Amino acid sequence: MLVDQEKCSGCGICVPYCPAQAISIVNKKAIIDRDACLECGNCIRSLVVRCPKGAFYEEPGLYEGPRAIRRFFSDPSTSHKVTKIPGRGTEEVKTNDVTGRVCRGEIGIALEVGRPCLGTTMTEVEKCTMALAELGIEFEECNPLTHLMEDRKKGTIQKQYKEEKLVSAIIEFAADFKMLVPIMQRVKKVAQELDTVFSLDLICCYEDDGSLPVLPVLEELGMKPRVNSKVNLGLGRPFKIYREKKEEKVCDTFTA
Amino acid sequence: MTHSLHRRGTAESLKNDYVLLVTAAADVNHVGSKEKLRKVLEVVWDIGPSNIGSYDTGTVYAGVNIEEIKAALNEIPRVRCAFSSREKIKEVIRRIKELDLGMSVTVQGPTEDILEMSRELGIKPHSVNLSLDIWGKTGDLPSDDVLEVVTQCGHGLISRYLVEKAIAEVKAGKKTPRQAAEMVAHPCVCGIYNPDRAEEVFKRYALASAEAAATKE
Repeated sequence: MLVDQEKCSGCGICVPYCPAQAISIVNKKAIIDRDACLECGNCIRSLVVRCPKGAFYEEPGLYEGPRAIRRFFSDPSTSHKVTKIPGRGTEEVKTNDVTGRVCRGEIGIALEVGRPCLGTTMTEVEKCTMALAELGIEFEECNPLTHLMEDRKKGTIQKQYKEEKLVSAIIEFAADFKMLVPIMQRVKKVAQELDTVFSLDLICCYEDDGSLPVLPVLEELGMKPRVNSKVNLGLGRPFKIYREKKEEKVCDTFTA
Repeated sequence: MTHSLHRRGTAESLKNDYVLLVTAAADVNHVGSKEKLRKVLEVVWDIGPSNIGSYDTGTVYAGVNIEEIKAALNEIPRVRCAFSSREKIKEVIRRIKELDLGMSVTVQGPTEDILEMSRELGIKPHSVNLSLDIWGKTGDLPSDDVLEVVTQCGHGLISRYLVEKAIAEVKAGKKTPRQAAEMVAHPCVCGIYNPDRAEEVFKRYALASAEAAATKE
């Protein structure tokens, strides 16, 4: 984002709203540190910062270069023009009862890199994708990050995006249940090499008796789930819980 | 995958914090779903959420009304809102189940409470997204109180600096805990931030400030 210096009154109302601390007041005018700005759009939203002078505007040509991914990975109201896929990821568990993205006998994993608070560069994201790629996992087709990869088998990110900074990027994939231990061991290892944080998700289906086969395995790994979770109540139709055959994946939508 | 999952806080502070997510799945059941989700919005509004909004409009705390949120439902619609009581979320689920719309319904909250509610309502949950915590350079994160507020926004748009400013203003007596909670609500455009819960966080500072003043006297 940019600030129209003629319009800006220097009131500073915008400063605390920036999650990247990219806005400061210099010579009684707001300025934006272009390198730090994540293009999340907080400052430009009329119902958020409410700049009395309407001084913020979007950088001309923003969508033409690699910087566009800052916008698409940071602002939930944008549709992804680089990858053609909206949002930062899939609807994960939110529509899992009808998409069957993760069925019984499988696990869904996500690492939301940069969240909470710290943000990330694509270089940090690549540390994770490369480490996971060594296990032979298949990255989620319907996640925009997958489409920024140079080589999905190696988990490498295209060079022009590596220095871009984002609120977060979500590494998503599904795998067979038997991969749970090696994946979590790898996740623990890569966590020690990062210059940012990630939040870790694990999706799984309930068995008929209401049990979750992942729980004893997680206990052995010393990874106890937190007390709160997201439960898909299974009210959607058509209902799907077993994988009958290998299917073409259908891209889902925004994540919230 | 999301921070509607990774809301931070102790078990006690998470006790009455629920997020309802009703979602049409693209290319599975989204055709004709807009009207169904309007019905869900009517039920939600009737029962009384602690917050509600949408990507397209912003939230009730930013000055948007329920009719604008309904009108803004797009071709692959979704309902996002927060509740502050077990009774309310249970009643919403009961009524959505009764509507029998075939849309996916997901609830974020204390797992055991959601499972217990499901049993009481005759619902057999399909799947769960478990939070396995934050990893990496966690030493750079802000305080637990700040995290408790910022992680209530599903897209990371509530700035830690805004929360820290709000805390400072409560401490200085410039804002009540409720005013602080509502000020922080604006950046969370989809409306899953729960101002009732945030108010409880800010109350800790109002109380500490009052105690400090009493000690001085």
